[in-house]
Amino acid sequence: MSQSPENKKGQVETTGHVWDGDLREYNNPLPRWWLWGFYGTIIFAVVYWILYPAWPYADTYTKGISTVSFQSPVIGPDGKPEKGADGQPKMETKTEHWNSRALFYQEMQSSPSAVAQKEWLAKVKDMSFEQIAANPDTLNFARSMGHGLFGDHCAACHGTGGQGHLAMNPEGSYPNLADNAWIHGSSYEKIVSAITNGIQGNMPAFGALYKGEKLTDLAQYVLSLSHQPGVNEEAANRGKASFATCAGCHGANGQGNQAIGAPNLTDQAWAFVDVPGAKNYDDKLKLVEGVIDHGLQHQMPKFGDRLSPEQIRLLAVYVRQLGGT
Amino acid sequence: MSANTVAITAEQYNYDIVKKFAIMAMVWGLLGMSAGVYIASELAFPFLNFDIAEITFGRLRPVHTSLVIFGFGGSALLGTSYYVVQRTCQARLWGGKWLPEFTFWGWQLSIGIGVVLYMMGYTQAREYAEFVWPVDLGILVTWVAYATVFFMTIRKRSQPHIYVALWFYLAFILGTAVLHIFNNLAVPVAWNSFESYSLFSGVQDAMTQWWYGHNAVGTILTIAFLGMMYYFLPKQAERPIYSYRLSIVHFWALTFLYMWVGGHHLLWTSLPDWVGSVASAFSILLLLPSWGGMINGIMTLSGAWEKLRSDPIMLFMITAMAFYGMSTFEGPMMSLKSVNALSHYTDWTIGHVHSGALGWVAMITIGSFYHMVPRLWGVKLYSTKLVFTHFWIATVGIVLYIVSMWVAGIGQGLMLRAFDQYGNLAYTFVETVTFMHIPYVVRAVGGALFLSGMALMAYNLYMTVWGARREVVPVAGQAAVAATRV
Repeated sequence: MSQSPENKKGQVETTGHVWDGDLREYNNPLPRWWLWGFYGTIIFAVVYWILYPAWPYADTYTKGISTVSFQSPVIGPDGKPEKGADGQPKMETKTEHWNSRALFYQEMQSSPSAVAQKEWLAKVKDMSFEQIAANPDTLNFARSMGHGLFGDHCAACHGTGGQGHLAMNPEGSYPNLADNAWIHGSSYEKIVSAITNGIQGNMPAFGALYKGEKLTDLAQYVLSLSHQPGVNEEAANRGKASFATCAGCHGANGQGNQAIGAPNLTDQAWAFVDVPGAKNYDDKLKLVEGVIDHGLQHQMPKFGDRLSPEQIRLLAVYVRQLGGT
Repeated sequence: MSANTVAITAEQYNYDIVKKFAIMAMVWGLLGMSAGVYIASELAFPFLNFDIAEITFGRLRPVHTSLVIFGFGGSALLGTSYYVVQRTCQARLWGGKWLPEFTFWGWQLSIGIGVVLYMMGYTQAREYAEFVWPVDLGILVTWVAYATVFFMTIRKRSQPHIYVALWFYLAFILGTAVLHIFNNLAVPVAWNSFESYSLFSGVQDAMTQWWYGHNAVGTILTIAFLGMMYYFLPKQAERPIYSYRLSIVHFWALTFLYMWVGGHHLLWTSLPDWVGSVASAFSILLLLPSWGGMINGIMTLSGAWEKLRSDPIMLFMITAMAFYGMSTFEGPMMSLKSVNALSHYTDWTIGHVHSGALGWVAMITIGSFYHMVPRLWGVKLYSTKLVFTHFWIATVGIVLYIVSMWVAGIGQGLMLRAFDQYGNLAYTFVETVTFMHIPYVVRAVGGALFLSGMALMAYNLYMTVWGARREVVPVAGQAAVAATRV
């Protein structure tokens, strides 16, 4: 019954079962390498379970013999961390059975990159912004750290290179940090304050005040401040009178006021509407009219509760060197 | 004479239901893979989202996975299991005409309704179990009917022994039932709402989900398709299975070991470390039992290797075994804590899944269909040449897919853990995304190649069946004439 045409002499016999006309099974022994491989994985598993926390029993689990050491604050009898002579928390070496939390502490404390970062942070700790920026080594460190912080916290709006984004509508526009124009000023203190506290950028809407021709004339005047080709000088002159309202913030000559974040209107840097990208002069006029008509509401979130003061300091150095003057 | 055989076969076995499942497997396969190619393109070129909620990546992604796993894979499994159980038990399908018919409509409607609801935004947000609770109930009822039909057909078999393929199908039916029920335990917000809350919470919920998630891979995409392999590969090779003993050992090892490994999806999370260690070690233990199926498949062809030159169907099946072996090696490696720290949350995982899903699951199904469809309709395959073409397009597509995902995944993993000389992270997240653009394009091209292979297959099978219609009708007519004469 186990005679199949393929069943040559010396070959293993089939089991003798036949299904669906021609389905049969040889009964070859388990391949040696397969069997030993399987035993090998069993040994691997047992060793793995001896090394690491593994099997639950009662209300706990086998801890494994592998351990992890890390620095941990000394807890005093009152249940609070004890402080050493220098005012810093007293630390002691703690050894626990292998667990991912201890491993995390250990890596954050003693991995080569953690140690390197700590050394550099200590180096810049007591340096002023100017000192950090003047020394090529510390400037490179600030660039390296700022690159990561900026990429993870700022780039979503301001772009990976800080180039910002200029759209035809204010809602889609984010200021360029890499040009020479600083809306709120370029001092380190200003940048730190902007990152820490965020920015509330509001320009009131003047739609109720200026309508129709009056609005157009004012927009003509605003465009004439930065010498846009195509300005109707006559209209601009008519609009000049209305600009008195704007001068309170933007200055009598439209040169802006960094103290209150009023942009300079006389340069070619546009932060909230893409005037340079408009197809023709009429479109530029419409963009400016829109801003005067509706005002601007622009918020930058505060990062003071997300980043440490040291991170913000280094990020400020990074942001400052992105732009000019 | 030939009319007689046709008549007997038609009466002996219920082929009608198998045909229906086979057709729907092709339909869902084409739709599901098209969705896959589209979402792959969205990742490479985000404008393709077009700001239309229904076709954004988030909604189309479960459409893709559900259609290929349950629509294509599920229909192929239900169909082939009905074919295999009848032929190896020499018994007509139990349940008359209507119970098998019910399993067909129950399955197709559940999937169809489920994916339309995804696009409308209704989901349980559990990976591979996104169907909302009413659809889950529909699947449950269908599954109970399917299990009953299958078990009862085995009970009334006219063969003393149960063939190995059926053990695997049985384990698949039982395992899937357990997984589906426990992972979908939820409390609906209201009887007329699609929304529900999971019965579990926090890390237990996550663990339940990944116990399900990994065993959807285990019992459906591995064990069930091994059942398919154990019937169609030796049939096509016309050779006995290599080792009965090996099939017993690796069957029990697989069914015992799989259920433990879900925790390796949650390494380095709030899942307790000990759960992860248990899962990691069991994943390593799974390696050789998984390879048992590969050995039995490939060694069955030993001594008849020349078939690979002339028979493209065999080529599909053997390549499926090779990809199966590769991904069941890769999986255990990725589940080790140290490797997982690099691979997790990267596209390496996506590449791994697709080397299994395209290389193993789809290829064994394609091979089996090329074998089964002509036999279902009692005709010859329209074109063997097209099967060769399909094989090469599909293989190149898979290789492009897997390699690009290795580059994207391992590359991103290494970038995310790279430090510079100052001890700062060397790359930001968005830089890793920029890096992945080209691999994403290559992946979409690979997927598109695989999809065009499927379209070629659909054409080939359509022409096969269409040819069958032309030839069989007069034969059936003769049979009818013969019958009236008697």
